[in-house]
Amino acid sequence: MKFAKAEIWLALRTKVVTINRTCLLAANGVCLESLASVGASTMMTLRFVIPAFVLLLSLRSQAAELPPDTLPIPQVIDMLVDAKLTEENVTPAPQADDLTIVRRLTLDLLGRIPTVGESDAYLASKDADKRTKLVDRLIASPAFARYQAILFDVMLNERPGSGGKNGSLRDYLLVAMKENRQWDRMFREMMLPDEAMKGSTEFLRPRLTDADKLTNEVSVSFFGVNVSCAQCHDHPLVKDWTQDHFFGMKSFLTRTYDASGFIAERDSGVVKFKPTKGPERAAKLMFLTGAIVETDTLREPNKDEQKREKEVTEKAKSAKLAPGVPAFSARAKLVQTALQPKESVYFAKSIVNRLWHRLFGLGIVMPLDQMHSENPPTHPELLEWLARDMAAHKYDLQRLIRGIAISKAYSRSSQYPSDTHPDVRTFAVARLRPLTPQQLGTSLKIATTDPKTYDALKPQEFEQRIEQAESAGRGIAAMIAQPTDTFQIGVSEALFFSNGERVMKELLIDGGGSLLGRAKLEKTPAETVKLFIHTALGRPATDDEIRTLASYLTSRNDRLPEAQRQVLWALATCPEFRFNH
Amino acid sequence: MNPIFDRTAPDRRKFLATSAALGAMACADMSGVNVLSSPAIASELKKKQKRVILFWLAGGSSQLETWDPKPGASTGGPFRAISTDVPGIQISELMPEMAKRMKNTCLIRGLNTRNGDHGSGAKLMMRGRKDEASLKFPDLGAVVAREMGRADSKVPDYVTFYTQTEGRSFAPGDSGFLGARFAPMELTTNNFPEFVRKLDGINDLDHVQRAELRDLLGKQFMKGRQSEVMGSHNEAYERVRGIMASEKLFDISQEPMKVREKYGHTQFGEQALIARRLVEAGVPFVRVARAWWDSHGQNFETHQEMVPELDHVMATLIDDLKDRGLLDDVMIITLAEFGRTPQINSSLGRDHFASAWSSSITGCGIKGGSVYGKTDALGNKVIAEEVNAGSLFATIYSALGIKHDKDYHVGSRPVPLVEPGIEPIEAVLA
Repeated sequence: MKFAKAEIWLALRTKVVTINRTCLLAANGVCLESLASVGASTMMTLRFVIPAFVLLLSLRSQAAELPPDTLPIPQVIDMLVDAKLTEENVTPAPQADDLTIVRRLTLDLLGRIPTVGESDAYLASKDADKRTKLVDRLIASPAFARYQAILFDVMLNERPGSGGKNGSLRDYLLVAMKENRQWDRMFREMMLPDEAMKGSTEFLRPRLTDADKLTNEVSVSFFGVNVSCAQCHDHPLVKDWTQDHFFGMKSFLTRTYDASGFIAERDSGVVKFKPTKGPERAAKLMFLTGAIVETDTLREPNKDEQKREKEVTEKAKSAKLAPGVPAFSARAKLVQTALQPKESVYFAKSIVNRLWHRLFGLGIVMPLDQMHSENPPTHPELLEWLARDMAAHKYDLQRLIRGIAISKAYSRSSQYPSDTHPDVRTFAVARLRPLTPQQLGTSLKIATTDPKTYDALKPQEFEQRIEQAESAGRGIAAMIAQPTDTFQIGVSEALFFSNGERVMKELLIDGGGSLLGRAKLEKTPAETVKLFIHTALGRPATDDEIRTLASYLTSRNDRLPEAQRQVLWALATCPEFRFNH
Repeated sequence: MNPIFDRTAPDRRKFLATSAALGAMACADMSGVNVLSSPAIASELKKKQKRVILFWLAGGSSQLETWDPKPGASTGGPFRAISTDVPGIQISELMPEMAKRMKNTCLIRGLNTRNGDHGSGAKLMMRGRKDEASLKFPDLGAVVAREMGRADSKVPDYVTFYTQTEGRSFAPGDSGFLGARFAPMELTTNNFPEFVRKLDGINDLDHVQRAELRDLLGKQFMKGRQSEVMGSHNEAYERVRGIMASEKLFDISQEPMKVREKYGHTQFGEQALIARRLVEAGVPFVRVARAWWDSHGQNFETHQEMVPELDHVMATLIDDLKDRGLLDDVMIITLAEFGRTPQINSSLGRDHFASAWSSSITGCGIKGGSVYGKTDALGNKVIAEEVNAGSLFATIYSALGIKHDKDYHVGSRPVPLVEPGIEPIEAVLA
């Protein structure tokens, strides 16, 4: 039984945590010596102490082991997150209700709120396995690939909205996400792009003008490591990062250049740098882990090579001929090294941490680009286990997203019953996460549309309607800032929603198919309020809300359509709508 | 929700009163607080608030035709130098009005900023430092907004005018890692900001009351939830009406004709007047960009046209602020991405030049009538008191009462306002 195994593991872990803390010394033999020095008999030592010591050692080695790799992801997540909660004596928030969960999942996986039909169906379902089935349905939806492509584009480009152009990185990401392409393969394809594969060149190409930036952004995007501090000096706080690391990484990348619009690479090249101490030196091809690739190409290009470079650029220019790959490609070596089992720890942990961050609003390591020994993860075993799982399952992104999405840790309430809230890093309470521009744009469109629009449609038609909402929401999405970890909402957003013509003309319209149009059919203000809250917030209205908002409407009987518009505006701008909660 | 509110037909007045009370409760309840409400900053606010007007001379004005003339030198060009009200200080004859007002101004003549590129030069001179590969620094306006702005301010924190199109994309206002909260209100097409004016489709009362409805819904949702972002979301909406009321600040028709005439009916003059109205109302930072000084050809004609306008507007602004008793709290800066080459090229132009150029700081916290930095006889290099972008910024921060080595935190990493080790120029601080 898998479950039994997990329990044994957990029991051992709990014991060992305590034993470890007090008796670590035993493992070094100190315990034995001190026992001997207080005059314990040899006999006793042999019969009692030594077996105890052996047991201790075996427990220790099991503790160093992670939970079995056969366990399902959600189980391991909950086991380890809960273990930490117990250790820190934190009571987690209760599980969120069904309507909150279906909203959260649809936002996270598809980038929009659920339609009324979708949330009602989820609420009504008596299927014990409905959560898992929902997650699987959402991941299988075409909207999942579309939204993931946007999220990866933002993650890799930090320039949201730059996508969408023909041949952009977004195009590549969309194709990759549609077939759930493995993350290691995507890394390889973006780092060693094939000009024929649309968009794959666009991670590198815009970065070729600045080798320092390229070096750092490759390190940040794929390895969760920001080495920029080590450019001028060894990192002041982190002994992991020295100038050798920065210039080592740069050496892999500095030979890559833009040959008339094509990505090309030189046969040789050397990065020299002046360390803060000592004479100038040449960097080696050194990966972040310290792994070095030996090569005799660490030199300035010779005359032949320079001549060839000119020819390549000339051909690229005149004949639009893509340059070939050098016999020894430093960039290919970087990819190869980074994915080797011994070195892949950064690569695997970084993507795990980023996907975790995406679904929890907080990484296991924070900030995301500071994965190093001085900045430990909050849940080291969990990160370790998930990274191992990621590598063992061919870097299957959907597998981890699915695993997180069906864990209990993911589905806790964002409300905490007492005034003192636990440390966010314990994952005891769900974090409020501001919607991304795409989430907000599409969701506003759905929330202000007559819910009947999405009823009784064939799946394909439904999908088309959703795509229409996505594209109709783009204009508003473009007005919204991309949230970051230190994000604060600025007054410009509130001004836009308060006085922007777009909001009035694209959301608060009352023609056929709109929610305000639908409201014309409602007989009482109370019915209107119920309809609005159900559609916009995906839950039934409370009695208080019905009374309050209905009285607002009633008192404006002289201008009911306007009054309805104001109520809908208030719902579309309230925090409950603005956040994934 | 509040029981008082639960009636079938509340009249408007009651509705307002109740919501106001609820609004106050909502504030008291809110634990998600903005960075601005921390005690340290609250105490800083007790000091009189300092403000900045930056004249951004986009494209790079010539130091030789403004603050650092070299009359008679082969590089000097046709214009003379004139004496000023401060003995020993001479400036270009194109600035007769400023020549009478150097007592309030400090000239930094030894700028060596090592970057002669419009784009990255503008970034450097708006931030005082170079962006790191993965860290975007806030510009001067965003830092001042962050330091001097109030969470509940009824006016914007950072306003920037950049009407001409030349060079605009090189120098957008940018709050960097401080994020959207401190991003500027940017005015490019006209002198009225976007989204500040209520749409015709809604009456004023409804506009106010729907915001109160929003508040009520929010208050209910906030129970048992904590989040800084949610706090900022609320604050943003709380500020809307105040900022809308500040629309009148952008309306110079509210100024007496006499004042308007003093500033002049040019776009630059009008924007400077709006800037004064804004700082007077408490806006911490206003940038007025004037483009395009990039005189690769016909440098002297360009400057003959543009410097007198700058001279006139700047002098008027100084007088106006002084009359209003504001000059001790408002700083006027002239700055650009770089200066111009002493060497005059074959098109009688001057090219990009970042190794020996000038900036000026007037008013708040600065030693008026001072000059810091000396260039050689031809203006080719700084021979004394050299200043880089970092120390210029450290000086500006210090004069405003902001500790130049103060740390912001990006994640766990402390990021000082200026690069570590860089100090303000004590000699020019008042």
